This record gives sequence, C-alpha cells and structure tokens, in this order.
Amino acid sequence: MDPVAVLGQILVGLSRAMILFIVAAGLSLVLGVLRVPNVFHGSLYMVGAFVAWTVAEAMGGHPARLWPALVAAPLVTAAVGLVVERTLLCRLYQREHLMLILFTFGVMLILNDLVKLSWGPTYRSLVPPEALQGSVSVLGVALPRYNLVLLLVGPLVATALWLFAHRTRIGKIARAAATDREMVAVLGIDVGRVFAVAFGVGCSLAGLGGALVAPTTSITLGMDHTLLIESFLIVIIGGLGNLWGALVGSLLFGVAHSVGLLIWPQFAIAFPYAITAGVLLLRPQGLLRSVW
Amino acid sequence: MVTGTRLGIGVLLAALLGAPAVLPPFYVYLLALILVTGLLATSLNLVLGFGGMYQFHHGVFYGIGAYTLAIAITKWNGPAWMGMVAGPLAAAGAGLLMGLVCVRLERLYFGMLQLSLGSFVWIVALRWYPVTGGDNGLHGIPLPPELHPLDSAYRFILITVAASLLVLWAVVRSPFGLTLQAIRDNPQRCSVVGIPVRAHQLVAMVLAAFFAGVAGTLYVVLERSVFPNMLFWVLSLEILVMCLLGGWFTFFGPLLGAALVVALRVFVGRHTEYWTLILGVLLILLIFFLPEGILGTLGARRAQNPRVPVPQPTHAGDAHG
Amino acid sequence: MGNLLLAEGLHKAFAGFPALRGATLEVRTGEVVAVIGPNGAGKTTLFHLITGVLQPDRGRVVFEGREITRWPAHRRCALGIGRTFQIANIFPRLRVFDNVHVAVLSRHRKTFHPALPASRFAAREVWAILEHVGLADKAHHPAGTLSHGDQRTLEIAIALAGRPKLLVLDEPTAGMSPEETEATLRLLARLNREEGLTVLFCEHDMEVVFATAHRIAVMHQGRTVIQGSPEEVRRHPEVQAAYLGSGDA
Repeated sequence: MDPVAVLGQILVGLSRAMILFIVAAGLSLVLGVLRVPNVFHGSLYMVGAFVAWTVAEAMGGHPARLWPALVAAPLVTAAVGLVVERTLLCRLYQREHLMLILFTFGVMLILNDLVKLSWGPTYRSLVPPEALQGSVSVLGVALPRYNLVLLLVGPLVATALWLFAHRTRIGKIARAAATDREMVAVLGIDVGRVFAVAFGVGCSLAGLGGALVAPTTSITLGMDHTLLIESFLIVIIGGLGNLWGALVGSLLFGVAHSVGLLIWPQFAIAFPYAITAGVLLLRPQGLLRSVW
Repeated sequence: MVTGTRLGIGVLLAALLGAPAVLPPFYVYLLALILVTGLLATSLNLVLGFGGMYQFHHGVFYGIGAYTLAIAITKWNGPAWMGMVAGPLAAAGAGLLMGLVCVRLERLYFGMLQLSLGSFVWIVALRWYPVTGGDNGLHGIPLPPELHPLDSAYRFILITVAASLLVLWAVVRSPFGLTLQAIRDNPQRCSVVGIPVRAHQLVAMVLAAFFAGVAGTLYVVLERSVFPNMLFWVLSLEILVMCLLGGWFTFFGPLLGAALVVALRVFVGRHTEYWTLILGVLLILLIFFLPEGILGTLGARRAQNPRVPVPQPTHAGDAHG
Repeated sequence: MGNLLLAEGLHKAFAGFPALRGATLEVRTGEVVAVIGPNGAGKTTLFHLITGVLQPDRGRVVFEGREITRWPAHRRCALGIGRTFQIANIFPRLRVFDNVHVAVLSRHRKTFHPALPASRFAAREVWAILEHVGLADKAHHPAGTLSHGDQRTLEIAIALAGRPKLLVLDEPTAGMSPEETEATLRLLARLNREEGLTVLFCEHDMEVVFATAHRIAVMHQGRTVIQGSPEEVRRHPEVQAAYLGSGDA
C-alpha cells in the first residue's frame, strides 16, 4: 500500500475527526451539565448545514461567502436550542429523567420535518469559495485545501472550549454544576441560567459542525442520523461530559474510518462500532472518566 | 382477573373473530395491523413500563423477526413455518446479544448504545442488497396458500396475538413480573434484597425481543413484504409513543396506544406527508399533559399491578405463614 | 456467644479523602449494638462496607466466621445480613404488600418464575411480616403514598423478609416524630427479644441509643474510639471530649 496514499487518507480522516469533535463536544457538554443526551443535537447539525447553504447562496458568488455562513449557522442553532430550552425543556428538569430524553426525541421529530418543510427533500451542495478549493501539499501528500482548514479550525475550537470551561466564570460554574448541581444552587447561583448557557453553547457547536461540513458533503435530510449515532458512540467511549474524551474518541473514529476505507471499503462504517465494542468490553465505564 | 373483565375480553375476542364477515377489507387489514402493532408495543412495555429500561430501539427485534422470515422463504427457500419459528428465535438471539452488551451499563448508556447498535443493523439491512433487498426491502413473499386470503391471514394473526398476549399477561403477573417492576422502582434495593438485577433484565430483554420477533413475522404474513424502515428509529419512537399514550404502567395501555397511533397514522397519511412532525407533537403533548397515558390516568389504582388482587390475609390464629 | 459480625482494620478513602482509617466493630449474636459519632465520623461508610455496597481499601469483614470482605451485596443478603437505608429506599409504585412480597420471593429464590400468578407464592408469609410491623391495614396502598415513618417501617419489613440473622439499620429514626421513634424502637427491641434478631444500627439521637443498645461503638474521624456497654462509653474521656464537648445536634 502506497504510504503517501495512506497518509493522505489519514489526514482526511483527521480533518473529518475535527468536525466529529466539534459536534460530539457539544453533545458531551450538554450531557455533562444537564445530564440529558440531547437527541435533537443531530437535527441542529443538519439545520446548521442548511442555514450555511442558504446564507452562502444568498451572497451569490461572493468569494467570502463562507464567513457569514459560519457565523449565522451556530447563532441560529443556538437560538433554536435556547428557545426550546427556556420554554419547554426547563419545565421538565424536576420530572423523571426518561421524560427529558423522550422530549428531545419529540423535538428531533419535529425539527426534522420542519427542515423538510423549509428546504424540501432534494439535496443541496455548497461549493467552497475558490480560495479554499484545490489541494495543497502537506508532508508530500496532496490534501484538499478545505480539509487543511478543518485541521486548523478544530484545535482552535478545542482551545476556545477549554478556555471557556476553565478560564471564564460561567464555564467554571458549569463544570461545577455538572458534578454537583445541588451545591451550586446552595451557593446562590442560578442553576437555570447555567443550564441555559451550557445548552446554548452545545447547540451552537452542533450548528458550527454542520456549517463546517457543508462544503464537503451533500446537504440532505438524514445527514443528522449517522452523525448523531457517531456522536453518541464517541461520548460513550470518551466518558459523559468529558471534553478530552470527546477529542480522543473523535480522533479514534476519524482515523479508523480512513483506515477502514483503505482496508475494507464496504465495511468502513463498521469500524467505529467495532472500536466502541472493544473499548466497552475492556472498560465499561468509558475510556476516560465520566463527569458524574 | 375480575369476572367482568374476563367476560369483556371474551366478547371482544368473539367480535374480532367475526369481524371479517361484517367489515370491508380495508378495515380488516387495519385491525390486523393494529393487532400486530399492539403486540409489538406490549412487548416493548414489558421492558419499558414494567422493567424501567431505556429500550429506545425496540424496533430492531421487530425488523429482525420480519427479515428472518422473509429471507428464510425467499433466499433459503425454506418452508414458511420454519421461518415463523426462526423469526422470533432470531429476534430473541439478537435480544440476548444486545442485552449482554448493554444491560451491564447504566441506564443512559444502555439507551444510547442500543440506539447506536440498532442503527447499525438498519444500515446493514439498507446496504446488503443481495440478502435484504437493500432500501427496497423484499416484496411479494410467497406464503402458504391457506394464508393468502386476507380473512385467513387476519384470523391467524388474531389467534397468534391473543396467545402471545396471554403469555405476556401471565409473565407480568408472575413472580418474575413483580420482580421486574421492583427493579424498575429501585434496582439498588433489589440488589440488597438478594435479586440479581442484571440477570432479570437480560431475561426480560430476551422475552421482549422474542415477542417483537413474533410481531415481525406476523407483519410479513399481513403485508408479504419487509422494509428497512422497520429497523429505523422512527418506528421505535412510534412504539414508545404508543406505550406512553396508552399508559405505560398498565398492561392494556400499549394496545390502546397502538390502535390510536396506527389509526392516526393512516388518517394523517392521507392528508400530509409530515407524519413525523405530528408524532413529535403528540409525544411532547403526552409528556406535558398526559404522562401516565390514557389508561394510567383513568385508573390510578389499576396503574400498579395488572389486576392482581392482594391475597386475603389469614386471620389471627395461624401467626406464621 | 461468639461474634456474629467482625469488622477489622477497615480503611476507605474517597478521592483522597480518608473516610475510614482502621475502623473496627464486633457484634455478638443476639445483641443490639449502636454506632454513634459526630457527622463525618464514617458511620455510613462503615455500614456500606459491612453490607457490601462498597469495598474497603484495606481490612476485612467476617460474618459467622466467613470472610465476606469482597462479597457483593446480594450475596451477603443470602448469608443473612439485612439492611435498611438512611433515606427511605422502597419501591414507590408498588403496593406495600408487593414491596415485602418481592423480598420474600427473593428469599425463596422464586424471582425468575414466569408463569403462575405471584399471589400464589408465600402470601401468608408476607401477611405475617406486615402484621408483625403493624402495616397490615395499609397493604393496598402504593408505598410512595405512605408517611415518612411508615415508609421507614416498611423498610424494616422488607429487610425482615429476608429472615436475616443480622439487621443493619442506617439511622432508622431519622426524620421521625417522637411517637414514630418510640414505635420503631419498641419494634426493634421486640424483634431482638422475641426472634433473637441481632441488630446493628447507627444513630444521632442519644436517648434512643442509650435506651436500646446492649453495647455502643463510638466513632470519630474514621476510627473506632471505643466499643463497650453504655456505662463504659459514658465514662470514657475521649468520648466525652470528642462528642459531648463539641455539642451534638
């Protein structure tokens, strides 16, 4: 096997892993702080992609059309998430845990059909601006320019998240609320506000992931499904609420997917499952610690 | 069971048996579909309502049961009855596998992992064209000529569903059923009292999967087709909604929920293609306004054990049991 | 009269915090033993180690001469250790009758039986227990609707269903009114006297302790300061300093 091809595939896999990480991190954040696996997280990813497409289309062939798209998508998904959380979800925090999860299922069903209603069932594509087309030589390998961008954006987002969680006041409170929400409430902090912020950030990450992936794939109904499943698996093996775990899991999946494509293309999709099964057999509690 | 209810059920059964004589074929078909879906929902409720497990992708076992029968007949050229036995067994086997992986995990992981694994099965069915027919599924599955007329298929389904429900009823009233409910309420306490919680949950999953497989094979009898969307999570959510709507702490709740949801789906499907939106709205309305479901809200006392009368106490005299 | 239960040199740390630092405890057959100590002394942790909810970092637990240090909770139950919890830990959606019934079925090893109605098994035994603890008239009520005191009593009933040789109770009278407390104590004393049930409990309420226990163990900062008769404990200088001096609740 040609080592250059292998390296190229791995780099592509890593750039895909960046998107996985952004989405999985959002899911993990919500899971850690609110203890809810937000099932409509995947739908928001899809919304992000469609919104990015709409914004880019609206700007015609403008060379910088990607930037407003990358800003609009996370804002829209954060807004959607916040509206849902402040009006409905927050009323369920005192209820049985199962009801919270089922609620997110319900929102997923509704959101998916709303996307179908708004954009129709045909698929779209978002052509990246000329500056980001073509390929670039990295370590002797031809890598699509856009993938290189992803490889740079990923660590940026990761750093921003880390700064948010460890250096901002609200981030630190969110981390505390994840481990002990009663204590946080006792300290006089409005736990509801913390939940809202965490949820908003998580949803915006889903939208950002969708916007970032938009130029690389066809934007269709159903794109939420595979990504949600992969995010679930990443969060399971990486540990609920653990952002480092999300990173490790995403990298594993991204690389495994590429390796899978090289070795056994028809079954490449099985690789993430195989990894998860392996990890769970060895460490049922996940790779890294759960936050709670 | 109270005599009045026994009588009521007897009357209902008689009416259902006689239905093909008076109803137009479409309604017979609808009744059959409701029966099949009702069994599926009741099997889910064994682990969901009575067992407290986050069974988010129960449809997988339904699909596996159906596909096994379909494949047994069309690809392996086996006799139909063999497929009808293999279907539920394959589903039970899948339940065992899924259970072994998931049951030892905490509830939340259980649900998320099941959703993921189930989706994997869906993807396999979608892509494995030579065996499963890919995204078209398999159609025109040849069944024994006795089952070809709708009325015969209907009666076969009715009898099988009634028998299955009887078994499930017995299970829910049995010591196993009571233990399962205790595990739902407080698994830690069960453990302290000496109950191996995981083992019970595993058995419950296998049972539930088995009957979902039965429902799957009955679906093939009715439609003579299988579709990959039987394995898709929207169907699993539909069954969840059925249990919730009817009352997930009651035995007959899921049946009622199935009847309502199937009827609604058929009706809504004629006017719009946005059934999933309606389903989602229904689910959210249930969560906020009717969390105990119809039967659950109607009969607060019935919402515990399904009509098990508390045995009469022996009176002072024989102090020890 | 040998030791029914022996806990020796138990150490347990949680994320670096040492909850137990060499705690010991002995319980003889037929005794009522109380464990007391200020908050954070490690009483609940000790109980968790005895009943199998947690495993110690060091030390051992011996029951009837058998070392059970690493045994899981449900195996200890089969051996004859019953327990109740600090927070009412019942089956809220089940009726009172069923709460006890489940435990009885477990003891008879009938929990996997999938066919005959549950009511055919051991119903009389359940009624006997309910009458013993005084909950027979509430048998039909969902356990979640019971008053706090009744729920704690139900807990005892569930534990009794296992026909335990040793009953371990974690603050059995917490949150109870004086009447409920007295009723619970009378029940425990009666069970000890009439059934020969060995009772181990931990408590905050000093009156309760000194009135019912044959022997008292005092814990402080993860160690057992002394275990002896109420008189011995009352006079022990370290106890007076650590406990009564700090002004208990």
